[in-house]
Amino acid sequence: MSRRFCSETEGPADPGLQPERTELSWRRTALALTLGSLVALRLVPDALQDARWIFAGVLGVIAGVMMWFIARTRYSRITQAMRGSDPSEMPGGAELALICAGMTAIGIGSTIVVLSAAG
Amino acid sequence: MTVTRDRRFPASLYRQGQEPDVRFTLANERTFLAWIRTTLAIIAAGVALELLGPTMHPTLRISASLVLLLTGVMLPAFAWIGWTRTERALRLGQPLPSSPIGLILGLAVIVSGALIVAAILLGD
Repeated sequence: MSRRFCSETEGPADPGLQPERTELSWRRTALALTLGSLVALRLVPDALQDARWIFAGVLGVIAGVMMWFIARTRYSRITQAMRGSDPSEMPGGAELALICAGMTAIGIGSTIVVLSAAG
Repeated sequence: MTVTRDRRFPASLYRQGQEPDVRFTLANERTFLAWIRTTLAIIAAGVALELLGPTMHPTLRISASLVLLLTGVMLPAFAWIGWTRTERALRLGQPLPSSPIGLILGLAVIVSGALIVAAILLGD
């Protein structure tokens, strides 16, 4: 068992600041998704002359905002797990699997957009 | 001694081996997120090429766009599989797995780039 779980230090749970770097990585991803969705919101309904595509952009922005909050909740769970003694308090892969599914949907939707614009 | 039941997903992964150093798990997580950002970028490139690109040969342009987009559709699955395989290797103390994902991405960019150059040279 890693000694990290028995640590009782003040300050950051990990002197290498890995939990902080991980939170920032989540935030970068959230920003990329939100900005991409805002641009899609601006461009796609016009390009395809179909206002329904606004919903796709709005969904993307909502997902990006949710991801921003997931960054913080995961960070809290990680640092709690590192200071405590129960490793199963660490966050698992559920949110990662959801992101995988969502991103695949975005890829498929974008392919539909491009084929509609070209056709 | 009480043992808390591990409720993390996927259960089949967390049943195996033992808890790795947290730093390695977090590095694995950041790698997954980096691949997700790469997916966003490649999808954005595919869409921008078709919606915003300058005048170029239409069939070659849509082909370049589709190469990027189909790669973007595949990347999240590779990211997830890479994450689970790496996490399993960490838990079991095994060598980290390799993945063809980098090669696939590189080839997609090369092929798409070549199609774009051809599309520009051939014109409308």
